[in-house]
Amino acid sequence: MDMNEIKEIFFQECEEQLAELESGLLKLNDGDRDPETVNAVFRAVHSIKGGAGAFGLEELVAFAHVFETTLDCVRSNKLEPNQDVLKVMLKSADVLADLVTCSRDGGSVEESRTRGLVKELEALANGEALPAAEAPKAAKPVAAAPAKPTDDSGFQPIPFTFDGFGEEENVVEQFTYEVTFKPTRELYSKGNEAALLLRDLSRFGEMGIACDMDQLPALENMDPEASYFGWKISITTPKSEEEVRAVFEFAEWDCELEVKPAEASEGEELPMIPVPFDLSALDDEPAEPTPQTETAATEEASANVVKAVNAAVEKKESAAAAAAAAAAATQNNAAAAASSAGQTIRVDLDRVDRLINLVGELVINQAMLSQSVIENDNNGVSSINMGLEELQQLTREIQDSVMAIRAQPVKPVFQRMSRIVREVADMVGKQIRLVTEGENTEVDKTVIDKIAEPLTHMIRNAVDHGIESPEKREAAGKDPEGTIKLSAKHRSGRILIELQDDGGGINRERVKQKAIDNDLISPDANLSDEEIDNLIFAPGFSTADKISDISGRGVGMDVVKRSIQALGGRISISSRPGLGSTFTMSLPLTLAVLDGMVVTVAGQTLVVPLTAIVETLQPEASAIHSFGANQRLISIRNSFCPLVDVGRILNFRTNQANPVDGVALLVESEGGGQRALMVDAIQGQRQVVIKSLEANYTHVPGIAAATILGDGRVALILDVDAVVGASRGQSLKPEMSLAAAG
Amino acid sequence: MAAKKAASGKLALSAVLDLNEASVLHGKLMSMRGKDIVIDASAVERVGVQCAQVLVAGATAWQADKKSFLVEKASDAFEKTMALIGISETQLIAKEI
Repeated sequence: MDMNEIKEIFFQECEEQLAELESGLLKLNDGDRDPETVNAVFRAVHSIKGGAGAFGLEELVAFAHVFETTLDCVRSNKLEPNQDVLKVMLKSADVLADLVTCSRDGGSVEESRTRGLVKELEALANGEALPAAEAPKAAKPVAAAPAKPTDDSGFQPIPFTFDGFGEEENVVEQFTYEVTFKPTRELYSKGNEAALLLRDLSRFGEMGIACDMDQLPALENMDPEASYFGWKISITTPKSEEEVRAVFEFAEWDCELEVKPAEASEGEELPMIPVPFDLSALDDEPAEPTPQTETAATEEASANVVKAVNAAVEKKESAAAAAAAAAAATQNNAAAAASSAGQTIRVDLDRVDRLINLVGELVINQAMLSQSVIENDNNGVSSINMGLEELQQLTREIQDSVMAIRAQPVKPVFQRMSRIVREVADMVGKQIRLVTEGENTEVDKTVIDKIAEPLTHMIRNAVDHGIESPEKREAAGKDPEGTIKLSAKHRSGRILIELQDDGGGINRERVKQKAIDNDLISPDANLSDEEIDNLIFAPGFSTADKISDISGRGVGMDVVKRSIQALGGRISISSRPGLGSTFTMSLPLTLAVLDGMVVTVAGQTLVVPLTAIVETLQPEASAIHSFGANQRLISIRNSFCPLVDVGRILNFRTNQANPVDGVALLVESEGGGQRALMVDAIQGQRQVVIKSLEANYTHVPGIAAATILGDGRVALILDVDAVVGASRGQSLKPEMSLAAAG
Repeated sequence: MAAKKAASGKLALSAVLDLNEASVLHGKLMSMRGKDIVIDASAVERVGVQCAQVLVAGATAWQADKKSFLVEKASDAFEKTMALIGISETQLIAKEI
């Protein structure tokens, strides 16, 4: 495996760890005090640090180290994770994420930011008040907190000294542990390095090590990337057994590890090589070497090494039999570890996409085959026909399963939003809490990737414009802390994402005035509340009195709307003055297939997305009413709905068709209004594979994408909103149409 | 008894002896079997366990071949990492016998 690939895996894992870190910190922020949550947070930072060390990402290691130290204080109950502490930690998580990004993509994080936080973190770890003058509530001195046992062995954490961090070594009782460590191949292939783990362990105290080389095969038989060495280590340290184990924490699935108090050991098998000397040459973090003692120490160590190894060679033969038995056990354990780790695999997205594409072709092919069998099977009882039905079912199942591979929870996107809320709220001096719900709702990865941007914009808007300032909120009798609720759920084959704020709601007067000023509506327009609210999605509309860094550039919500539309989604807003606004986005679960109604319009076959259709009806002559020059309405259950001739809008024909000869599809458009789309006939309902028109041909106004039907013909997928828009007198401009991915 | 004197080879180790380098190093050593070898470890900045495994296996193979395998000019990082992971100098040396 190429080093860059391993690095890439490390960064992918970093993303997962960062998500874990943030979600853990947010849980703590909400009052969760489960030790497992604290452990998960610690583990996340520790893993990032470990991996970063393996790649020599010094800045990242240095910051993660300080962060981890402070988290360790929380873990051992030396530091109470109150709001002030968590604020620093959340900020640190943000910086850590930035450092990871910079390590991956280049660039650097402002040093002042890192340095400031390092100071705050160190202050917390030292039990001092936060360095910022205005943080008097910060971290209660740790002295007051009685130390609690950290593990089952009854180990009591050493009382923390506040006068100087790092003095703990002077006061402490020493323990000796015997550690057996045997990495598996996976440990290395994931970019970890056993030598670095041993180095970290050696920092804990006095260490002796014996390398077990019994499994090392002959040069010609060895696999250079396999793991053959194992170690027996004896370490004397003030640290607890748990802390010793923590060194191997991020590699625990990829190694065999045993840590036990030395007195419980059953005699030495291999002589130990002392590792007492300064290992600063191997450090990733800048360290201060002490050259004058180093040389002497190294010489002494080397002498010890030679002695120890000579002894080891003598003892090697007698140990061989025992080693063979151990090797068998090793393999069993490795297999067990591999099976538990094998629950998830990382697959290149391109491969999944290729598979999806192929399955799409399979679906089309199967449909074509079915069709030709049906055409040639006059009596309809052919066994081939029945077999084909089973094939159809299987194909559908395969397709669903393949789609499920791409489905991912929206959690990572939601978590990113909490950072945005924190940062923007800080910038505008508001107190805002983000509540998320349904983060585990799954949706296609492409949809996830594409909703992040519009969602970010909407969150910024909600913080900047939606939620009022604490003073205004208090004056209105509200909690000074505003709440933004972000929720996701599945509803009738789509994902519904709601963004709700408890702010002031939309100022309809101002919106209307702005729309009049911008010539978006005429001054005498009589608009419903809903229509006024939806004006904020009009291109170039912005009500912000001043243009801020955060939002209000006037390109806001129309861009959001277009991005959502490009995903085949819809967005709507409902607002209650004084109580807040709710944005609702409805998005398809996948961009690869679509349930559609296949219809005929002027001899052409079109597919209408099923999600857009409310109902279908056969109009009666008495229900059709003319209106104006060439507008027609259809009366449905005592209400009127504009009739839209799809054939005419798309220029398939010049004259209006007679509605009585066709079928009306009642569709719901963006603004919530309904339209009846006139088509000539309905052919049926089926799932179609979306093929991008833009990628394969060129954009066609009023058409979202294309598909290939069972008979091999291309059918166009109707862009319902663009067609409805066109019926309102808007032209079928390219930017209005969906640009569905294929 | 001294082995038949064959041509001796020199092998300069890369600065970073990581997972990637293990296969490269293995290949180089395999191609140099049968001759005395002097390994220059002066430029080494980082040593991973897998390269150490290859080197120890190399020293053992050379010992079996009765050829000399010598690591010279070891850098500080090389020496320290070897000691850290419990490998002695003698394990990296094979003498002509």
